[in-house]
Amino acid sequence: MSRQTKRRLAAAPMSDLELQWYEGSWLDRVPQWVSITVLGAAFIGLWWLIAEIEIISRVLLPGPQETFYEIYSTAQDIVTGGHIFDALMITTKEVFLGFLAAVAAGFVFGVIVGETRIGKKAVMPYLVAVNALPKVAFAPVFVAWFGFGANSKIIMALFVAFFPVIVDTAAGLFAVDADTVMLFQSMEASRWQTLRKLSLPSALPFIFAGIKTAAVFSVVGAVVGEYLGGGKGLGEMVRLNSQLMRMDRVFALIFYLGIMGLILFGAVAFAEKRLVFWRKSDILEVKGA
Amino acid sequence: MTTHNEASGAGRESRPTGQEVVRITNLSKTFHRRGVKALGGVDLVLRHGSFTSVIGPSGCGKSTLLKIMTGLLPATEGEVLLQGTPVTGPRQDIGIMFQQPTLLPWRTAIDNVLLPIEIRSGASAAKAKTDDAMKLLDLVGLKGFEQVHPFELSGGMAQRVAICRMLVTEPAILLLDEPFGALDELTREYMNLELQRICKESDATAFMVTHAIPEAVFLADQVVVMTARPGRVEEVLDVDLPRPRTLEMMTTPVFAGLVRHVRGLLDMGGDAGGTE
Repeated sequence: MSRQTKRRLAAAPMSDLELQWYEGSWLDRVPQWVSITVLGAAFIGLWWLIAEIEIISRVLLPGPQETFYEIYSTAQDIVTGGHIFDALMITTKEVFLGFLAAVAAGFVFGVIVGETRIGKKAVMPYLVAVNALPKVAFAPVFVAWFGFGANSKIIMALFVAFFPVIVDTAAGLFAVDADTVMLFQSMEASRWQTLRKLSLPSALPFIFAGIKTAAVFSVVGAVVGEYLGGGKGLGEMVRLNSQLMRMDRVFALIFYLGIMGLILFGAVAFAEKRLVFWRKSDILEVKGA
Repeated sequence: MTTHNEASGAGRESRPTGQEVVRITNLSKTFHRRGVKALGGVDLVLRHGSFTSVIGPSGCGKSTLLKIMTGLLPATEGEVLLQGTPVTGPRQDIGIMFQQPTLLPWRTAIDNVLLPIEIRSGASAAKAKTDDAMKLLDLVGLKGFEQVHPFELSGGMAQRVAICRMLVTEPAILLLDEPFGALDELTREYMNLELQRICKESDATAFMVTHAIPEAVFLADQVVVMTARPGRVEEVLDVDLPRPRTLEMMTTPVFAGLVRHVRGLLDMGGDAGGTE
């Protein structure tokens, strides 16, 4: 219908962009929600097909039906406060505490690195190097140091989520526009004034990029910590169920872990939208774990 | 300032007769570590209410000169006197503006204008100046845009806000670093007309670095042509066109003659110094 209105409006002069839009391929004209739904349905269809003809044994690859049923019964357990609910709460706590600590510590140290010459010249290269390491590889070390309880999981989440925050905060402070810094100098702004009124606000998009990465990484950190055992969270349940060959349940648990990560990420993205209102940031720009 | 501008010696005293605002004497700057002499003895006088354009090949030390005048870079030799006192650091009576508007995107137009007051004298002083800032926005034709954020402004409008921010402290001298260099040609011409009007209405003394010869001639009472490495004043050219200048004047033979003269000077500098 809206297309017809547009066609009728075609009598009015069209902008160049609109004209180009009409000339584009039909794929460009499909609304995004349609393309997302179609691709999702195609994926589930393919999954169903592979499970039906059992290219991979049904035990190892349950079909969408079994998985959706398991997601449903897991939801029932969560709503009624069963043992999966308890596991979910434990993992949520680990993720949340690790995430908060990573953001707080990453921000403070990021400002220190970003504001000092030694930080820029000496500390930053190390941080960038460490940030590039597969940090989850340290998980056994933390378990050895902090035991099998929740602490080692929280510290693992903190450890993997900390580096993106500190690196991006420092990078944001380095990226402050040189002319604007000169302007502040010409206004005789103090270092504190320059930091508070110029550097920190202009670094906010960078800082939020780091926090968004931290949101994703803190879930990774906590779950990898749980895989090593000793915990009582969702990661531990994934590990046990995969050993029991209950792949449908594994998939359902991963689904809820994904929901948890999405909620955390969405909350950060929402805060960013409100705080960094002057910049149209793309919600789809995420770094993978 | 006798050695470098014999060519324009005759007409010197006829134009801007206002009080001396800036006196630059034998200003030199050597960057020792790189062994580069950026400025080699610059002498200039800027009079009250006058507009001075500076033009020269890249590497002629324009931006070094501007930084020293802003008080952000110490001179190696010589000094800049502003209203009788040497410039040794940033001062409230100096206003600057860059090629980019350098507005803070999270602040509204009016809060951007008030920023210099807020930095120097605090938030309450800035609040007390709100009416003045509103008048300035009105002066540059942005009445009604006080609460708008920079991302909603066009390039030309953003530069107008930057003009207001520069004027709000009522500086004695305006230092303009290619202020409209990032704008498209049509907007730029229009902004030049606007700048002329704003300078007249605020009785400003202005010093502008530019790369465009017609723009330099169009706005200026005197055009300072510089040579490269070390930067020296090759000639100070008086522009005796009547004010207010109009775009039609740019097609007159007098204007064309002045432009050709400046271009000739710059080409000569090219032979000696190595510019394109």
